[in-house]
Amino acid sequence: MPRNRRTFLTGAGAAGLAGLAGCVGGFGDDGGDSEARIGMVYATGGLGDNSFNDMAQQGLLDAEDDFDIAFDEREPETEGEFTGAQRDFAESGDYDLVSCIGFAQLDALEENADAYPEQDFIIIDEVLEVDNVRSYIFGEPEGSFQVGHLAGLLTDMEFAAAESETNPDANTVGFVGGVESPLIESFEAGFKAGVEYANEDAEVVTSYVGDFNDTAGGQEAALSMYQDQDADIVFHAAGRTGVGVLQAAQSEGRFAIGVDADQSLTEPDYADVILASMVKQVDTAVYSAVESVVNDEFEGGETERLGLEEEGVRAVYGDTIGDEIPDDVKGALDESRQAIIDGEIDVPQEL
Amino acid sequence: MPMRDRLPIPESGYMQAVVGGGLVATVLFLALASPSTHTATLRLAVPIALAAIGGIFAEKSGVINIGIEGLLIVSAFTGVVVTFRLGSGESTLLISHHWWGLLAGVLVSTLFALVFAVVCIEFKADQIIAGLAVWLIALGLAPFVSRIVFESPNTATVGTFDNVTVPVLSELPLVGYLLFDTPPQVWIMLISAVLGWYLLSRTSFGRWVVASGENPKALDTAGVDVRKVRYAAVLLSGVFAGLGGAGFALGQLGTFAGGGETDIGGRGFIAIATYLFANYHPIGALAGSFLFAGLDAIQVRLQAAGYAVPTELIRTIPYVTVIIVLVFVGKTRLPEAAGENYESGED
Repeated sequence: MPRNRRTFLTGAGAAGLAGLAGCVGGFGDDGGDSEARIGMVYATGGLGDNSFNDMAQQGLLDAEDDFDIAFDEREPETEGEFTGAQRDFAESGDYDLVSCIGFAQLDALEENADAYPEQDFIIIDEVLEVDNVRSYIFGEPEGSFQVGHLAGLLTDMEFAAAESETNPDANTVGFVGGVESPLIESFEAGFKAGVEYANEDAEVVTSYVGDFNDTAGGQEAALSMYQDQDADIVFHAAGRTGVGVLQAAQSEGRFAIGVDADQSLTEPDYADVILASMVKQVDTAVYSAVESVVNDEFEGGETERLGLEEEGVRAVYGDTIGDEIPDDVKGALDESRQAIIDGEIDVPQEL
Repeated sequence: MPMRDRLPIPESGYMQAVVGGGLVATVLFLALASPSTHTATLRLAVPIALAAIGGIFAEKSGVINIGIEGLLIVSAFTGVVVTFRLGSGESTLLISHHWWGLLAGVLVSTLFALVFAVVCIEFKADQIIAGLAVWLIALGLAPFVSRIVFESPNTATVGTFDNVTVPVLSELPLVGYLLFDTPPQVWIMLISAVLGWYLLSRTSFGRWVVASGENPKALDTAGVDVRKVRYAAVLLSGVFAGLGGAGFALGQLGTFAGGGETDIGGRGFIAIATYLFANYHPIGALAGSFLFAGLDAIQVRLQAAGYAVPTELIRTIPYVTVIIVLVFVGKTRLPEAAGENYESGED
């Protein structure tokens, strides 16, 4: 079928060209007289995700306010594009730092860090022990422990705020994960430990949707927890899927706990059900990396762990209903935070 | 293949087994699963069932439309964007903007189906490649437009249709919450299945569609324009898929996530498996979509109930079922002329 093959080639060629055009755009002004030039490679999902990537960009923008830097950004659509995006920056030799946002860039970076030993890189959410890479990881289990502690205390109380209330008849809270992976499971492990610390009788029900972009899946997972399991608070670590969890909390008159950013601000439609968010200050990591480059203090080959003490992770109370959480609950959270920092509470790092 | 020349009613023993098994499963499901599982099944079936009904018309007429996933994506996205732009929660001409959004979603989906039909029928492109193109274009276009409108691959939230609650009837056990206190897209799905069945098997248009897929030459000889029949059938697939995508988006999601495989996430491909499983019967496709949506609803609850089955395994149930079903339903037969372009002898 020569004709079909030709049709296919034409189509594939056009699609490929369009794809290339999409990748190439966005070489900014050359910024030759800046103190530092930064190349950003974002995680798939790209900017505008209201959480992870936007937080990373925030760190970059904060650094731009404080220092004389220039930057270029890439938003790969698939994991296969990471290698090329990193290499484009590294190969040009114009960049003082290439920032790789997200654990999925590890394999690509392993290759490129080796191929371009003179280029400085950072990676967020993964560890790569190579001389020209600085790794930033967060204390997700500790942060999740904090919101778990909050959920465990509140589920046992009669608590109402805005249109929602807890279920005093049951001691059940839920966790909805995106894709089952060591990172997301570390959220679950910390959350479970926090709930148990607060309330030994409480039960945690868990569900993984299998996708970070499945609103309906998040909705159904959370609805089954609220309706069938009598859960009253659900914590999600599920990216965009988590919006479905927030929707379910709203329709059932229950509560939810957000993740990554303060979701009562980034998803204001659901601020009336968000008790708190487990915030990861990805912006802090990017900012401090840029700062170190500007000051010529960048040290590769090291891993920086941003935990509770460094305020890399923390429980941020909801903007709308956070004020209604009783003070003794907040006091208990402050105490457990200090106890974790002092090493008195041992938070499990994995399931 | 001795059955090949007969019309598509495979051995009745097989049919009886499937229908009987389905009835037993339905009774068990209604008796044992919780009401929330039942309603979740109805909701999750909407995009699958409507896309499957649309796909039946296209494929029966001889045009294999595997771009149905793309039609779900564009209609879902358009529905949300138009509702957002008009202002959610308000109404124009006494009709809520959610319904205008649904209408816009159906229109855009039909428009995409028209482009697909022109490429396949007028320019005689390979149907599989054109269908893939529809999917890939939709997969890229929705997040692209979303970035322009919302500066994000994900749209803002617009809320959903209100449930249609019929007084008194909604108090009935079982059927009350299943049918009389349910979001409107569920009714759209049920009515479409009946309408699709009636159109296909009880009208002359339906007979033309079948003939156009089985033996276009004969239809042509009988004086019916095969092109027109195929255009109509493909456009109809756009309408049904549009109702499915926009109904799903505006009735359940209230937003649209454009990242990865989007909020549609392969439901259009499950729809194709569903109508193959149902041997191109619209009511059968409805039942098949209940099966897959029901499995989806159950797996979520099994996980939350803490059954120590690996969650990856549970999540594969719908897809494994599709494969098993397709192996056993190897007797599903494609319309004779499906995938082939038809050239009338006139020119």
